[in-house]
Amino acid sequence: MSSDPDKMMSKADKMTKLTLTRWSADWRGATELYEQAANGFRASNKYEKAKVALEKASKGQEMQASPWDAAKHMESAAALAQKLSIWNEVADFYRKASELYTECGRAQPASDALGKAARALEDVKPDDAIQLYTDACEILEEDGRDQMAFDLYRACANVYIKLEKFTDAATFFLRLGVAADKCDATNSQCKAYLSAIIVYLYAHDLKQAEKCYNDCSQIDAFLKSDQSRSATRLLTAYNEGDIEEIKKVASSSTVSNLDHSIIKLARKLPTGDVTPIQMNTNDDLDEDDLT
Amino acid sequence: MGVVDLITRGDSICKKYDKYDIDKQREANVSGDDAFSRLYSTFESALETVLQKTEDLSPETNKAKAVAMNAEIRRTKTRLLEGIPKLQRLALKKVKGISKEELDVRNDLVLSLRDKIEAIPDTSAPVVGGWPGSTSYSNIRFDTNVSDHRIGSEYFEPTEESDQFKQEYEMRRIKQDQGLDYIAEGLDTLKNMAQDINEELDRQEPLMDEIDTKTDKAATDLKSTNVRLKDTVTKLRSSRNFCIDIILLCILLGIAAFIYNEVKDGDP
Repeated sequence: MSSDPDKMMSKADKMTKLTLTRWSADWRGATELYEQAANGFRASNKYEKAKVALEKASKGQEMQASPWDAAKHMESAAALAQKLSIWNEVADFYRKASELYTECGRAQPASDALGKAARALEDVKPDDAIQLYTDACEILEEDGRDQMAFDLYRACANVYIKLEKFTDAATFFLRLGVAADKCDATNSQCKAYLSAIIVYLYAHDLKQAEKCYNDCSQIDAFLKSDQSRSATRLLTAYNEGDIEEIKKVASSSTVSNLDHSIIKLARKLPTGDVTPIQMNTNDDLDEDDLT
Repeated sequence: MGVVDLITRGDSICKKYDKYDIDKQREANVSGDDAFSRLYSTFESALETVLQKTEDLSPETNKAKAVAMNAEIRRTKTRLLEGIPKLQRLALKKVKGISKEELDVRNDLVLSLRDKIEAIPDTSAPVVGGWPGSTSYSNIRFDTNVSDHRIGSEYFEPTEESDQFKQEYEMRRIKQDQGLDYIAEGLDTLKNMAQDINEELDRQEPLMDEIDTKTDKAATDLKSTNVRLKDTVTKLRSSRNFCIDIILLCILLGIAAFIYNEVKDGDP
């Protein structure tokens, strides 16, 4: 067994190619060689070659009908691709790994793989990251493990907030609420609803925020909670144009128990002008008078 | 008498008594060039719609919908109120064909309209239930106010000592309030942490059950493997003993042959 990874790679390649003398590929031997080659490359910091070796090893495992090992190799390949910053390969590899995990019937590692991919792509390709998060959440929900999906929903909403797409972020918080409802996780549910209301207020969409609050109040658990009380105080403060009250609610302990990004948004409230409702309709009429 | 005859007779009767139809008269009056009348009629119709909405609101048990409708009513009300000054200006303008008394009447009409708009109820009943804590707090406030009021009256004359005592009491109460606020904040954090821990434990419970079943399975597998291994090892050892026996036997034979050779060489 030669210790040079390149020689191992070429040997393994020869073992898998079908020629006149070799009528069936020897996947087992090839896979072993590929794995060893990959280790050798990693030790010598040749990440590109290690990644290729891992890809081939994964294919070999797949041919040997062991999707679990194949998925593990794919994940390692994806991690190396992340180090090399080849982003579309990162997404592809993690997706393939997730599919292989689903083949094994293990939903949790599948969604974990997609979650890792999304986390890697958050900064560079946020839209892809969002897609990956959504897929991961769907896998978990299909399997009935909603509680694991909470973190993914929160991360996804954070990405939307960074992209300043506030309605989408609020939608995701409401989806978190639905998932929490299924598992009777009332605290997370109420926190999710309060976060959604704050996001709407940050986007200075008072009507939407009020509508959201009204919708959420249908749910008993939310209506009797501390979070609902804070939401009422915020909304009445907005309606009365009381900036002091808004700031007081934003620095209260209920809001400080939410996610960091939401706390940041809340501290920046109120965005834009906060005038009492009468003033707002005055603006509407003036425009009508001019036309 | 056929149906057509009935319809034609009904129409002619209606036409005859049209002059007694108040609404229609109002509309006929309005469709003139008079800007004031037109605007006034629009205001009146808007007022009627708002009143209708308030009536729809009262049997509404769904609090969320009630809140939303109240917001709607508030918005229309303010819009109408802003239009009143314009109406007043129109009312004061002299229009040909209108007498002076009618002008005064118009002004009065505008004022009464404004009163009617302002009288529309636009807030729902205060929310009941859910937060008993805050109401009991305000009760406490109220009691101290009453006691202050009593002290202010002439039930006793305030001396220097009692003034000092009262001041000290106030200061200590304020310090107590501050301390209690601090404790309340700490309790809030604790409550949040406890609820999060609760949810985390709920989340981990099914995982632990899974781990439990898997370890049980692994333990039984190990046990059976151990038994099989033991059998194999004893068999192996016995065969090894057998081999050792044969080897020793061979060595003995070799030694015996050697001795025999020696004896044979030594004897002849």
